[in-house]
Amino acid sequence: MAEVAEHDSGKKKKGAQKKMTIRVDFTPMVDMNMLLITFFMLCTTMIKSQTLQITLPTNEKLQKEQQNQAKKSEAITLILDTEYNADGTPKHDEETGKTIHNVYWYQGLPDTTFQVNLLAKESFIGDTRENGVKVQQGIRKILREQNKDVMANYLELKEKWKNREISKETFDSLAKKNAADSTLTRPVVIIKPGPNTTYEALINTLDEMQINQIARYSIQMPTHVDTLLLENFQARTGETVIRPTIRQNAVY
Amino acid sequence: MGKVKIKKKSTFIDMTAMSDVTVLLLTFFMLTSTFLQKEPTIVYTPSSVSEEKVPVNNLVTILVSSADKGKVKEGQDPTAAEGKIFISFSGGIDSTQTAPIIRGMMLDEAVKVYNSQAKEGKKIALTPEQRKVFTETNMMGTPFEYLPTLLSKTLTEIDKEQGDMYNPYTGIPIDGNKDKNGHLNDFQIWCRAIYTVSKDLHDKNATDLGLTQEEAKAFGDLYNAITKDGTGLAIKADKDTPFATIETVFDNLQTMSLNKFSLLTALTSEEE
Repeated sequence: MAEVAEHDSGKKKKGAQKKMTIRVDFTPMVDMNMLLITFFMLCTTMIKSQTLQITLPTNEKLQKEQQNQAKKSEAITLILDTEYNADGTPKHDEETGKTIHNVYWYQGLPDTTFQVNLLAKESFIGDTRENGVKVQQGIRKILREQNKDVMANYLELKEKWKNREISKETFDSLAKKNAADSTLTRPVVIIKPGPNTTYEALINTLDEMQINQIARYSIQMPTHVDTLLLENFQARTGETVIRPTIRQNAVY
Repeated sequence: MGKVKIKKKSTFIDMTAMSDVTVLLLTFFMLTSTFLQKEPTIVYTPSSVSEEKVPVNNLVTILVSSADKGKVKEGQDPTAAEGKIFISFSGGIDSTQTAPIIRGMMLDEAVKVYNSQAKEGKKIALTPEQRKVFTETNMMGTPFEYLPTLLSKTLTEIDKEQGDMYNPYTGIPIDGNKDKNGHLNDFQIWCRAIYTVSKDLHDKNATDLGLTQEEAKAFGDLYNAITKDGTGLAIKADKDTPFATIETVFDNLQTMSLNKFSLLTALTSEEE
């Protein structure tokens, strides 16, 4: 829209050419642009999702010799399970609405005689502060303890990186090397999520592997033995044992 | 006494500069934007410390629907909406132009596999129009049997129907079969198609597949992304979905020897 404004020069002279200033009003143009910007801002994704890579074992039957057998002493099994209400439904936190998870874990082979139950129970994940000191709990605590050697080196490296002694790239490659160093005692973690464990809890557990520099871990289904161990544990500790009915589409 | 004359000032504001700025901003947004792809249902992915970005090209996304969190109608079980499977294919480099090509190839291959194991009378044949509708849809999940019926509808109708998680024809059937060489379920047929098409693109000449050299080049990484490093196959699921549902997808992928894949997450920083 062009606005042709007459120049105020006072008196008009006959025959003199009119002086004109040509001004274009840009207001509608700006209006339209703003609308378009709004449209683009609303329709675009600026935050890109991240991915977490996992590799599952093959389903094909392998020969015993071909299998990578984890040393018994190195294996740690984490069974993830939810807390249950009296009617067998998963219990939710009243504040956040999230499902409450527990982790049950044991080292080495499961005790199938059920004489000594090695299973120990921990609350799920995270840090709490006690007298201003950070205390790890749950999976993080277990893994920090079991992966002491690697973690000690890792924290040392991290300190160096923070003090700008080494670059980010060097730090990354050294940390990777450190996590895969076979001269150190490194646990092999077997994650066994129960049927009602949320996807978020699984991702959180996988995150803990990264945070605690665990190089070797796998996701497996809880076996019959695991279920029996859980029941045995719960019976020992006097907790009410309510096993949820596994839903039909579950493959166990 | 002379009256003080108040000069009338024009309130005209020069908007030219403002316009310049907005046009610049507009250009920025237009160039950086990747449009939100339409998905039949909204899922909230859990957060993770992983910093790997999702690739834009050569990506197959498997969407797992969550239990109904909105208004549940009377007599409906919110968990019935859970675990519906949808599949989407993004194109190669220059995604908007190449996406229809890869979708078409996947569809042809999947229909071929389906027909080879379907009983007489259950086989399907798609018209070119129906195929075109499929290539124009970003994400789809329906049994093969119902595919011709669904694709005969208009895009708006398809969107509406696919968005209804209680519809029995929504979602790719995933139950049963643990044998790679047995009678595959619909999801496994798609997996087979993904594998075969990406392998063909990797091994065969572009002209044999009816593609131009550039098109074939755009899909060059798909095979490696799917079989070697697992970046080509992503599972997108809601954070509250129980593991039993996710496990079904894992198990089917394992059955089809697609052992490497990635899980879509949102970023959080590592807690110290």
